[in-house]
Amino acid sequence: MDIEQLGQRIAEIEAAVVARLPSVANVDDLRRVENEVLGKEGALGALITTIKEYPPAQRGQVGQVINAAKGRVKAALDGRRAALEAAVADAEAAAAAAFDPTLPGYVEPMGSVHPVTAVQWRIERLFERLGFTVEAGPEMEEEYYNFEALNIPATHPARDMQDTFWLTNRKVLRTQTSPVQVRAMLKYGAPLRIIAPGRCFRYETIDASHENTFHQVEGLMIDREISIPNLIALAHTLLREVMERDVKVRVRPGFFPFVEPGLEIDMNCQICAGKGCPTCKQSGWIEVLPCGMVHPNVLLAGKVDPHEFSGFAFGLGLTRLAMMKYGIGDIRVLNSGDLRPIVAARRLEGPVVAAV
Amino acid sequence: MLISLNWLRDSVDVPAEVDPHELAERFTCTAAEVEDVHRIEVGARGLIAARVEAVSDLPATRNLRLARLDVGDGRVIETVTAAPVLRVGWNVVYAPAGAAVAKLGTIGQAKVAGRASVGMILSGDALGVEMAVGEALFAEPALAPGTPLPPEWFDDWVIEIDNKSITHRPDLWGHRGIAREVAAMYGLPLKPYPVVAVEELAGIDAPPIPLEIQDPQAARRYSGLRLGGVPTQPAPLWLQLRLGRVGMRPISALVDLTNYIMADLGQPMHAFDGSRVERIEVGWAAEGEVFRTLDGVERTLPPQTLMIQSQGRSIALAGIMGGLETEVSEATTSLLLESANFDAATIRRSAIALGLRTDASARFEKSLDPVNTVLSIQRFVALARECYPDLKLTSPLSDCFPNPFPPVTVKVNRRHVTRTVGREVPDDEVRQILGPLGFDVTAGRRDLSVSVPSFRATGDVDIEADVIEEIARYCGYNRIPEVLPQVTVRRFEPCARLEVERRTLAYFSGAARFSELHQYLWYDSAWLTTLGFEPGACVELANPAATGLHRLRQTLLPGLLAALVRNRFHYEACALLEVGSVFERAEPDDAEFRHVGLVCARRQKGGENELYHRLKTALEGWGWECFGRAVSFGPAAVDTARPWEHPQRTAEVQLEGRGIGRLSAVPLELKRRMEEHLTAWAIAWAEVRLTGLEKLSPRTEALGRIPPHPLVELDFSVLVRREVRYAEVADRLREFTHPLLRRVAYVGSYEGPALPQQQRSLTFRVVVGDETRTLVEEDTAAFRATFEQHLASCGYWTRR
Ligand SMILES: [Zn+2]
Repeated sequence: MDIEQLGQRIAEIEAAVVARLPSVANVDDLRRVENEVLGKEGALGALITTIKEYPPAQRGQVGQVINAAKGRVKAALDGRRAALEAAVADAEAAAAAAFDPTLPGYVEPMGSVHPVTAVQWRIERLFERLGFTVEAGPEMEEEYYNFEALNIPATHPARDMQDTFWLTNRKVLRTQTSPVQVRAMLKYGAPLRIIAPGRCFRYETIDASHENTFHQVEGLMIDREISIPNLIALAHTLLREVMERDVKVRVRPGFFPFVEPGLEIDMNCQICAGKGCPTCKQSGWIEVLPCGMVHPNVLLAGKVDPHEFSGFAFGLGLTRLAMMKYGIGDIRVLNSGDLRPIVAARRLEGPVVAAV
Repeated sequence: MLISLNWLRDSVDVPAEVDPHELAERFTCTAAEVEDVHRIEVGARGLIAARVEAVSDLPATRNLRLARLDVGDGRVIETVTAAPVLRVGWNVVYAPAGAAVAKLGTIGQAKVAGRASVGMILSGDALGVEMAVGEALFAEPALAPGTPLPPEWFDDWVIEIDNKSITHRPDLWGHRGIAREVAAMYGLPLKPYPVVAVEELAGIDAPPIPLEIQDPQAARRYSGLRLGGVPTQPAPLWLQLRLGRVGMRPISALVDLTNYIMADLGQPMHAFDGSRVERIEVGWAAEGEVFRTLDGVERTLPPQTLMIQSQGRSIALAGIMGGLETEVSEATTSLLLESANFDAATIRRSAIALGLRTDASARFEKSLDPVNTVLSIQRFVALARECYPDLKLTSPLSDCFPNPFPPVTVKVNRRHVTRTVGREVPDDEVRQILGPLGFDVTAGRRDLSVSVPSFRATGDVDIEADVIEEIARYCGYNRIPEVLPQVTVRRFEPCARLEVERRTLAYFSGAARFSELHQYLWYDSAWLTTLGFEPGACVELANPAATGLHRLRQTLLPGLLAALVRNRFHYEACALLEVGSVFERAEPDDAEFRHVGLVCARRQKGGENELYHRLKTALEGWGWECFGRAVSFGPAAVDTARPWEHPQRTAEVQLEGRGIGRLSAVPLELKRRMEEHLTAWAIAWAEVRLTGLEKLSPRTEALGRIPPHPLVELDFSVLVRREVRYAEVADRLREFTHPLLRRVAYVGSYEGPALPQQQRSLTFRVVVGDETRTLVEEDTAAFRATFEQHLASCGYWTRR
């Protein structure tokens, strides 16, 4: 092939490429065309290898001719590439303009814990930050731990059939979380700081504000110099934390066999802000925390020396607290199994347009 | 218990400027909870006493009568009244024309049933005393007709104390004890108690009442007195009004007087018809004895019922109620007055067994002060004499006191006081606090010696902590500054059971998106019948909440399925979760276990496979999350007793090779039994026993690593007959070993038109690599050949 023929061949190739370009629909195809023409084995690219067939004097010129052609083809390809990319960008822009970014996310149900569990966890976290450990006890409890060990002798009214669920095996469904107090003292000795959340059972007629199955958190702290002001300070901290706002407390005497002195700590009613409403029976106060200094007999049952150590204990009504926190008016919904009153609707139903 | 402020003022001069609400608040914070404070405002104006002269029926009316009244100054008027009982010669509370009470407004003259009616006889109701409709209050005969009745007799404040807050305080079951606390609160003196001296009562020259107590454990003391000249006239109006204020209905002079003493001192008394009782014996009821109480009811006495007897014949249920036979009546001319002290537990037990709780038994159950038997008689005589000057004492005060409480003296360590109260309380302050409450304090070098008054020494105050409570509550719980405790830091082993439960709950309610709920601890028999489940031996309640709720659950499933039925109209799909206790009968001790139960359901016929796998995915995630271990699933023999186990879809959930629970889907048959609509639902469930897993310490998971040389992934699709199980194929693949093999993972399965009939393709991704070099094509080709050879040797086709 002489130079003239070469020039003709190159012109044909160039013309064919230029003719093809408008029908190349995307960048991938364009790359394929580029490879077919300019690649090592491409129509133009392969011509380079023919240089050595020419006399040395001509080789320079041949090279220039080929390279010039490659340059022109490359420019044509680049032109087409730019056009294709612009078209893609336009399409993307058009699609983006049509897109509605305000559409809500997908409806994927979320999991949830029972409101009582949520409050329980909050309380556990608080007490863990205060250096308490969290303990558990059985729901089917021995009579001894539920009563005797807590200074509730056999003749005490609390032992009556009408308050306690008795089992035919002579055990009871624990009427309070307090049995964990003595179990924990025996397990760890003093000094001691525990809370024990859990389910309790009382033989009671169920109505909107009474349940036979409910949750409590027991608290117990034993150390060398534990006082009533310590108990009040801790109780106040606890109530503030649970309600997530500042609350007022009122402390008054109360009577429970396993504490002496026994106290009742009331919180200012969160529903009427202390003005008086049916929930607080017009008193402005809600009884939330029966508590007191651990009775020496209970310390002794836990093999703790009442002379060296003193302590306080409290029983917090978790169920009641959860009701107050979430505004649940009827206690029965908590054990009903109906999800509606115990799960936030959005967790199960996803985004809603409007709700009343 | 209701307390009248007027009544309280007999014992303590509460200043007029003290707001009763403030008094109540202080009482609540110092002694016992006040539930309510309210004003009784009768608004009486111009009321007088008027004597009934004659009563005649008004024939045209059903229940009205015409009364002629002497209204004083020799004037007699006629008034129409609805009062059912009017006695000639007795005084009524009369509102002349122009007088007023708040409830009725100003009283005028009217024509009623054709008769001119002047003024009005006031009913108990109009005066704020709960009585039968129209029933009038009679005033004492000593009042001359026309005597003005002062408005302040009628108006009062009533303070309601929560009974539960004074169960441990026998001394607070009467006005006198409440007054003692109020006096101490305000630093006021407690006025002397108006009584007749014991010496006078004991000195009556007459035969004493023979008294005998058979069991001094059950009856500590019995005091009695005979009285003649028994009043037949009503008790004074002021006394009746006070009884009305504290919720007792005025009945007759004697009943009112004994009730008054009970509400005053807290000591129940009983009056026998003196002519019917010769002597008193306190003893046990005969076996199967039948006794008629004064309410007319015949009662079969339970064993161990303490009785008051006279010559072997029962005359009263000790501490609970008198007998009909010896009840005082209008014919009674002499009385035997009883004031006794009984064992609290004995009275409580009998009252419960008889189903008869009375004001008296409620007080005896609190363990009363035996000193009050005599004190109450002293007070009774003083009060009765004031009202009825004709009263005669016909026996000396007779007293049998075989079992006094020992006097209580408590050593109180000053350091313990400081430790509990949170500040030092000087001896003087201790004395100032305890003195008015009746305690005597003697200061020793280290300890205080505190002697407890009899009315607090019946079980209420007997140890140091009890005395410290008295000091602390008067130091003022709301006046002590709050101080967070100083503590000893120590490390606690975490409670393994709670750790497992918390992680489990967090995982399933979080990542796995289940909704937690709570169910009752017991089965509902009706629901079990619906399910067709017969649970066999269960731990049982002796006193279930209702019939059919006596068996404690052994599994969470029935409850979760019931919850599903409850939710099915509200959701298209739900995932329910419960962590709770289940119970099993066992020897020697019945056992409690903690379980997690999961139910996944969706309104979609034939969706079981997908839900089953969703649950499986969740359980696998739980195993890694909570224990750092793989949960596996093994074949399970279906428990046919449990109708929620699917005959083909049940697997055993395993951890560390041990069965810990079940995974299954609810069979169609059970869905039909539960609820017809559920046949359109797919329901999968799992239940796992958490008890036992607390021993598995969570393993630290090995993290991923970046290999030094690139790995190569090779996909193989294994063609097997449809009935060949994945597990079988996986087992065969596990047998293959090769130095380059790093991992084999399951990618997915395919059945469809691209495959021959009855065939299934399982795709696995095999990862190969070498720690020391980069693999070249020859390596992977050689590996592929070896692997395919293994597959072929297993009888599997490889699909290209
Ligand atoms: Zn309120």
